[in-house]
Amino acid sequence: MALLARTFGRTLMQATAVRSIHTTSAVNQDSGALGGSRVTCTLIPGDGVGPELVYALQEVFKATNAPVDFENYFLSEVNPILSAKLEDVVASIQKNKVCIKGILATPDYSVAGELETLNMKLRRQLDLYANVVHVRSLPNVKTRHQSIDTVIIREQTEGEYSALEHESVPGIVECLKIITSKKSMRIAKFAFDYATKNNRKKVTAVHKANIMKLGDGLFLKSCEQMAKLYPRIQFEKMIVDNTTMQMVQRPNQFDVMVTPNLYGNILDNIGSGLVGGAGVVAGASYSAETVVFEPGARHTFAEAVGKNVANPTAMLLCGAKMLRHVNLPTYSEMITNAVNKVLKDGKVRTKDLGGQSTTQDYTRAVIANIH
Amino acid sequence: MALRYTQRLLQTQVPFLTRGYPLLVTKEKGEDVAHTKSALQKKWTGVDIPSAQYGGRHAVTMLPGGGIGPELMHYIREIFRFVGAPVDFEVIEIDPSTEGNDDLDYAITSIKRNGVAIKGNIETKSQGLDEVSRNVAIRNELDLYVNVLHCRSYPGIPSRHKNIDVVLIRQNTDGEYAMLEHESVRGVVESMKVVTVENAERVARYAFEYARQNNRKKVTTIHKANIMKLSDGLFLEVAKNVHKEYPEIEHNNMIIDNTCMQLVSNPHQFDVMNMTNLYGTIVSNVICGLIGGAGLLSGANYGDHFAVFEPGTRNTGTAIAGKNIANPVAMINASADMLNHLGHKEHARVIYEATYETVVNDGIRTPDLGGTASSTDVVENILKILARKRVNWPQGQYRD
Repeated sequence: MALLARTFGRTLMQATAVRSIHTTSAVNQDSGALGGSRVTCTLIPGDGVGPELVYALQEVFKATNAPVDFENYFLSEVNPILSAKLEDVVASIQKNKVCIKGILATPDYSVAGELETLNMKLRRQLDLYANVVHVRSLPNVKTRHQSIDTVIIREQTEGEYSALEHESVPGIVECLKIITSKKSMRIAKFAFDYATKNNRKKVTAVHKANIMKLGDGLFLKSCEQMAKLYPRIQFEKMIVDNTTMQMVQRPNQFDVMVTPNLYGNILDNIGSGLVGGAGVVAGASYSAETVVFEPGARHTFAEAVGKNVANPTAMLLCGAKMLRHVNLPTYSEMITNAVNKVLKDGKVRTKDLGGQSTTQDYTRAVIANIH
Repeated sequence: MALRYTQRLLQTQVPFLTRGYPLLVTKEKGEDVAHTKSALQKKWTGVDIPSAQYGGRHAVTMLPGGGIGPELMHYIREIFRFVGAPVDFEVIEIDPSTEGNDDLDYAITSIKRNGVAIKGNIETKSQGLDEVSRNVAIRNELDLYVNVLHCRSYPGIPSRHKNIDVVLIRQNTDGEYAMLEHESVRGVVESMKVVTVENAERVARYAFEYARQNNRKKVTTIHKANIMKLSDGLFLEVAKNVHKEYPEIEHNNMIIDNTCMQLVSNPHQFDVMNMTNLYGTIVSNVICGLIGGAGLLSGANYGDHFAVFEPGTRNTGTAIAGKNIANPVAMINASADMLNHLGHKEHARVIYEATYETVVNDGIRTPDLGGTASSTDVVENILKILARKRVNWPQGQYRD
């Protein structure tokens, strides 16, 4: 009893002492704010409304005074004449380690007859294997479901996107889906590490191993194996068709989801649809060394080009995520808070959220709310 | 089979020490190693875990431990945040008052996942027989076979000797810490000291390799082979064998008692020291005492797969916990070592330099170094210096 009292007393004392001594004046400022060193970020506007959204993003960055410089590269598959060389873009991202990217349009038929799209090439060259889309309900955006908070983690370098298709005999086309244990382990570990870092409780592996017993079976087995290393995180499996139903019916049951390539793509879009559409969900693609921040659902919204109606929320949130990643959390919060304030007030909103405002008005409203 | 084996053993009646031990981990036949591990050593047999590096940021396990650990870890996080080191900590508290080992197991699993950890000293309160020392458990479980302690004098700090620069390479998993003790008859307790060729060789090789890569001239193997002719004899012999592959580096050996005397009278004769487990603790504490106390030096534990960084001398400092007088320098140096290991050399360098400047040039020292400053004074001064020396995200230009 005495021992208990002593230990408890000490812990208490320690706790108070620690709290009181650790308020140094300098620590509440971000790095960069003092020394004037700046972060360089590669910027790929992308196709469709991308350039307009990126313009909005740069305006907002200017307003926050964030110490970030952009290196602009126009990369496009549908507009090959204007496009920068892929090597240059890759080199820039490798140098800067961070990139913000709009959506690249992917034509159904490639001009050069290649199977691999520009997007896939970029991902493969940088080994951007993990795509993270954080689907979260935004304040005062009316949707079917409330308070959704789900993270979809998608493997995006193999699976159905391996670009291995051939016509073995006329009229028969085979498309290869590649699953490797190495990459499955890697994405599983990414998901569990993400869950650990962000205090998440549960990881759901989405698969179709009842049909593709070997391919998806391997993916599932890798996830199970990795789950053993994370005893404090709940692990469950769900078949992809059921997952899509559950997503639209009861999306709140999901926490972190880890999926192979194509399923992830589908779930990303369902998730985005649940919280307000392609214009409001931010995502990011990670490799070991680099990160590319891009909107979560991949739509170029080409029909709205020049009409000044696109919603820049997703792009602004990408920027906020980027700032957090490079250790500038204060600026990041400035932008997130401003966006949340504008959405909450509900006076200025773009057409996709049922408003009448233009992209420009919305951007101005966000800037006005930056404190 | 067993009979034949005994017979063969009996036939080879060569005197034990002159028999010569073949080296196991030669560069040509490295793949045989897996079969020759000692039974004591917990092998890491799991799958190859992918590294925890995402988008240039590393995940690192942080075990604050007991005593002053939590305070010091707080400073580390403050400094890391301030220099923008791309590291995310997974903090795992191990409650020293609990009996079970759940937290410890989880901590070890976490280090296996992340590959790298920084830790304070973890108390093992219980004297119970079934409970192993938690620090030793971590080392054994992760097969962290070598402990490296770079002892360098800080000018201006009151100490017996100036300009000491010695690297201690210590076997970290077997030797006296094998934890094999028993009472064979009432009143007689035997404790086993285990020396294995494999571990002795890995350490010796690490020492020579370290010497070669860091332009060191001499390796001294510390032993007590005049008394423990077989066990320490083996350790010494393996070191001599390994030395043959490093002809450009001088190698000598010294008995532990003489070493201690030489250390306090003339420490400058040593360069790199290679030793077994218990001698390592003794020598490291002697040197720490010589250059100004436990609060300065950082140590690193390496295995084939994992690395754990900690303050050089393993004291919890429970008595001074919460008083704001603990010296944060050792832990800060350990964190900079860790950044170096992760490849963030710029960040590591600015932290080293800021710490050095604070302690040496600015003379802001905690009472254990004869100063009057508090822990926060030291940290705040380091932050002030760091504010001048900025590192860009993530490996940008270094500015002064």
